[in-house]
Amino acid sequence: MDIDVFAHGIVAGSLYALVAVSFNILYRPTNVFNFAQGELVMLGAMIFASLTSLAGMPWFVAFAATLLAVGCIGLVEERIAVAPILARSQTGTGWVITTLATSLIISNLVGRFWGPDPILVKPPALLSMDSLDIASSRISSYEIALVLLTVVLVAIVERVYRTLKGKAVMAVAEDREAALLRGIDPGSLGRWSFFLGAAFAAMTGVLAAPILYASTSLGPDLLLKGFAAAAVGSIGNNRGALIAGYVIGVTEAVGASLLSPGYQEAVIFMVVLAVLLLKPEGLFGSPNARTV
Amino acid sequence: MLRAVVPYVAQAAALGAALALPAFVGANSYALFVATQLGIYVIAAIGLNLLAGYAGQVSLGHAAFVAIGAYSVALLTVDHHWPFWAAAVVGMVLAAGLGVLAALPAFRLNTWYFAFITLAFALVFEKMIVEWRWLTKGFAGVVGVPPPSAFGHEFGPRPLYYTVVAVTVVAFILVRNIVHSRFGRAFVAVRDVEPAALAIGASPQRTKLTAFVISAALAGVAGAFFAVQKTVVTPDDFTADFSIFFLLTVVLGGLGTPWGPIIGALVFFLIPELLAGLQSWRMLIYGGLLLGLMLFAPHGLYGALRQAWRRFAPAPPKAGAAADASEAREHPPIAGLALDISGLRKQFGGVLALDGVDLSVPAGSCCAIVGPNGSGKTTLLNLASGYYVPDAGSVKIGGVEALGSSAQKIAARGVGRTFQTPRLIADLTALDNVMLGAYTRERAGLLATALRLPSARAEARRLRQEALGFLHFVGVADRADVEAGEIPHGQQRLIEIARAMMGGARLILLDEPAAGLSMSELERLERLIMRICGLGATIVIVEHHLDLVANVASDVTVLDRGTVLAAGKPAMVFNDERVMRAYMGERALKAGVPA
Repeated sequence: MDIDVFAHGIVAGSLYALVAVSFNILYRPTNVFNFAQGELVMLGAMIFASLTSLAGMPWFVAFAATLLAVGCIGLVEERIAVAPILARSQTGTGWVITTLATSLIISNLVGRFWGPDPILVKPPALLSMDSLDIASSRISSYEIALVLLTVVLVAIVERVYRTLKGKAVMAVAEDREAALLRGIDPGSLGRWSFFLGAAFAAMTGVLAAPILYASTSLGPDLLLKGFAAAAVGSIGNNRGALIAGYVIGVTEAVGASLLSPGYQEAVIFMVVLAVLLLKPEGLFGSPNARTV
Repeated sequence: MLRAVVPYVAQAAALGAALALPAFVGANSYALFVATQLGIYVIAAIGLNLLAGYAGQVSLGHAAFVAIGAYSVALLTVDHHWPFWAAAVVGMVLAAGLGVLAALPAFRLNTWYFAFITLAFALVFEKMIVEWRWLTKGFAGVVGVPPPSAFGHEFGPRPLYYTVVAVTVVAFILVRNIVHSRFGRAFVAVRDVEPAALAIGASPQRTKLTAFVISAALAGVAGAFFAVQKTVVTPDDFTADFSIFFLLTVVLGGLGTPWGPIIGALVFFLIPELLAGLQSWRMLIYGGLLLGLMLFAPHGLYGALRQAWRRFAPAPPKAGAAADASEAREHPPIAGLALDISGLRKQFGGVLALDGVDLSVPAGSCCAIVGPNGSGKTTLLNLASGYYVPDAGSVKIGGVEALGSSAQKIAARGVGRTFQTPRLIADLTALDNVMLGAYTRERAGLLATALRLPSARAEARRLRQEALGFLHFVGVADRADVEAGEIPHGQQRLIEIARAMMGGARLILLDEPAAGLSMSELERLERLIMRICGLGATIVIVEHHLDLVANVASDVTVLDRGTVLAAGKPAMVFNDERVMRAYMGERALKAGVPA
């Protein structure tokens, strides 16, 4: 097996880790696992592609506009599809269906708007998708930058959780009512986390676009692999998500090169099942105490 | 009168219409084809409704289980010339078996893991159908699936239609029987209030698994008929859209309602005819419908109809159940279990909740645990009943070590408990909530219940009487047929005690039973606790209300910051200076406030 397979596994794994982190941002204060997250990633890629390739906007302006736009869509999702359901009951049945419905609506609207053809997105200035031929590996400068950026992003997110606001998020995740008594407003945190989680998803889409192209098929694919990374790395644990992302990415690349590309999903599925069977709480988590 | 007749009339009319249809349409007509297909979808939808509606586990990959049934029948009948019936059984078993293998890890986890796993399973399965060309013939699919035959006669469209109707009716009745049994009550308990499921000794994993096996098996059966009806089986038949379609069918008709899947499928088959021009908008409409229904009609069309009907013909007060329980009955004595706790220790992160607590409660006595907030009282109950795992120490129940047993195992040993905030199942009636308590005592198995064998029916009737007796014992028999969510807080507490007694509890743990009760309710509670004690049960009560404690408890243990501050007779303990200081603070003690 050559080093190229491994390198591409790490690149793909970085993207999966970013999706997993966006899941986590949203999950921590709300305990909601957004089934529309994959479509938010896709939406980020599509909006960004249109703004740069079609409207010719500068990279950073388009980047900021995309994050803001998708963040607002996340907020709308929270207001319409999640908050009313959570107000009625905290059990999962309701919001699984409503966030899934949201994902159907987004993906079909986007499909009608943009059509099925993938859009090519160029990496930002100074970086390119041309392969570098270092040590017989055909990795590009953009891909190297993406892997490094992912590590930095995970570190930043972890750092934010150590601030006062971050601790408030953890407190709400732990015990909603107790946090309420300490003057933390779970509702406001829920709205913010949907905004930020959606914006982070959009950023993932923007970063993925030069490698995977912007197309409607991004959504379901990244949803499942992002879930795999989040579950294997323990839900809520961002460093775990990073490592699990690598594990998923490399397993997928190796599996595909040994068997056939058609087995990609099957191999990942088996890994996730095996991990959850042996360690239900994921590789990097501790079982939560139930509270009565 | 009208109310009682309507459901039967509706059922008879639905069945009559279904049976009469072939008389009005040609054997090879499109109408009969669609009607057969409708029946097949209803079979799968009935299973999904049991799983998602009653047990609360949303399957997003139901198409895959239908596909397993369809491919099993197609491959076994075409390539290996098996008879349809044997192949259908294989399809059913494979659908349930493969489904369980995939979903097994998800049952220990949150609901949405299951949704994700089923979604991923369907996706992987769809890919594998294409990948395993040598088995499934890839994109081309399996062609020429022969119709079923019996006694040497091949089934035409009409017999096939009747067979599907028969299977649909059987599935409907079996699932309805299960829903109305202890299994159905456990499904709803696991869906809505998992701690309550543990308290009655029902394992959430096993319960979810049961619902899933039934659901996947029904999907497999539906798939078997799908194959023979279409005669061609291709991977394109079982896309993610198909799974969404099943989910929408159930949500549209009404999640967790008996008629939901049938109404949903019927409406669904009418809509496409109306929306023929909007084919390309289909998935968008599905998404919008799913969202709108969950927000504005969580119980679907059936729920909306029921609500309208109730407004039109309000329910008369039911006298039946209450009258049954009006006569007082003798309750057999209870052989209390002793509780011996020693050196119990529990740490939550940096907080030491309990630090070496000893507690001894002799069989048949009533012991109270008091102490300031945060002193570890509820933690002690949660450790004794298996909800938490202690870091060190021993918990002996009736002389047998209980440490390391799960909450539901400890419950099955005869430990009943109540919660600080009552954990009743809001959607079930008070009587059903009490009957839920008997979960581990009921002997009838799933099959006997589904078939309503005489033994299962006799047992259910006996337990119903017993549950009414316990409702009467705690003094809320008049509420037997009211949904628990509509019952006042104080009475919910009493129903929770009845549920614990119904479970055959010999050691009853009460967590702040007097919180939020009015003065008159408090007196009733006091008398009730004394009566339960009088029957011989052991009671451990965590309580702030010291008057109540002084009246009912023979021993009091005072906890303070995770350790035992004092233990002994109430009168002695309450005059202990250290206890008064811990409870009321230094200043109050100096001011001389009486205990």
